[in-house]
Amino acid sequence: MNPGPQVVTHLFGKDFLPVTDTLIVSWVVVVFLVIAAKIIGSNLELVPGKVQNATELLLTSIEDQIEPMLPGEGRKFLPFIGTIFIFVGVSNLSGVLPGVPNPTADINTTLGLALLVFILMHFEGMRENGIWGYIKGFAEPVFILLPLNIISELAKPISHSFRLFGNIVGGGIIITLIYQAAPWLIPIPLQAWFDIFIGLIQALIFGMVAIAYIAVSKEG
Amino acid sequence: MVEFSQPVIDVIISASALLGAGFAMIAGIGPGIGQGYAAGKAVESVARQPEARGNIITTMLLGQAVAESTGIYSLVIAIVLIFTFA
Repeated sequence: MNPGPQVVTHLFGKDFLPVTDTLIVSWVVVVFLVIAAKIIGSNLELVPGKVQNATELLLTSIEDQIEPMLPGEGRKFLPFIGTIFIFVGVSNLSGVLPGVPNPTADINTTLGLALLVFILMHFEGMRENGIWGYIKGFAEPVFILLPLNIISELAKPISHSFRLFGNIVGGGIIITLIYQAAPWLIPIPLQAWFDIFIGLIQALIFGMVAIAYIAVSKEG
Repeated sequence: MVEFSQPVIDVIISASALLGAGFAMIAGIGPGIGQGYAAGKAVESVARQPEARGNIITTMLLGQAVAESTGIYSLVIAIVLIFTFA
């Protein structure tokens, strides 16, 4: 049993740029989301229909989560946080389909998203406090804590990505073990729990922690 | 000094990796206590102030997710031990 992502094919020749199954599923998720966004966004109406209503409800509830932590900037960060939340949520839900691996059960996906958040939070911190004020923020409260502060900043993307990765991989391994021990009927509630409930909660938490990191970084 | 042959060494390495994975998961106690404590405090807060339920639940989930990190680290270490060394 090998739970990790499997290399399916190679782009450009034999050993160059391996393509894993999780990468293919994440491309499918991206294409699906782009097409869905195009279709929903192309016929907006003043009196919303069912699909438009649900989308507006989702987006306003994400904005309501951003607004208390970053006051006055909910609309500015909505595209970034909303994209992360919807992508991670749909990726986690894709494990419900039999035989489809979760893109988030691959450390490359989660570490990529966490690095995006890492770059954005330091960019925002620099823009809010100025470059000198931002660098000075590392030497607070006393100068001797400088290495500790730098290490704690570097630990943020690691803990951010490993939290999502560990949750999804742990759930997947438990489901695989149960499928081997009792393949009939018993795995269904477990699959609902790990893929639907834990998946959506972890997507929410990934977005919330990203907002919290950006808010902390803006304070200096 | 006792010399071991290669198969014996491999078996010893596998056994130590599996034992280490088991020991690593002892760290699951910590997040369990922490998350339970956070959930208990959240129940107390909701009972005292039922109108702030949404905010309390969001804050509780965020705190529990951060408390969970140590448990997830141990899980990742156990997975690495099992699937690369054993």
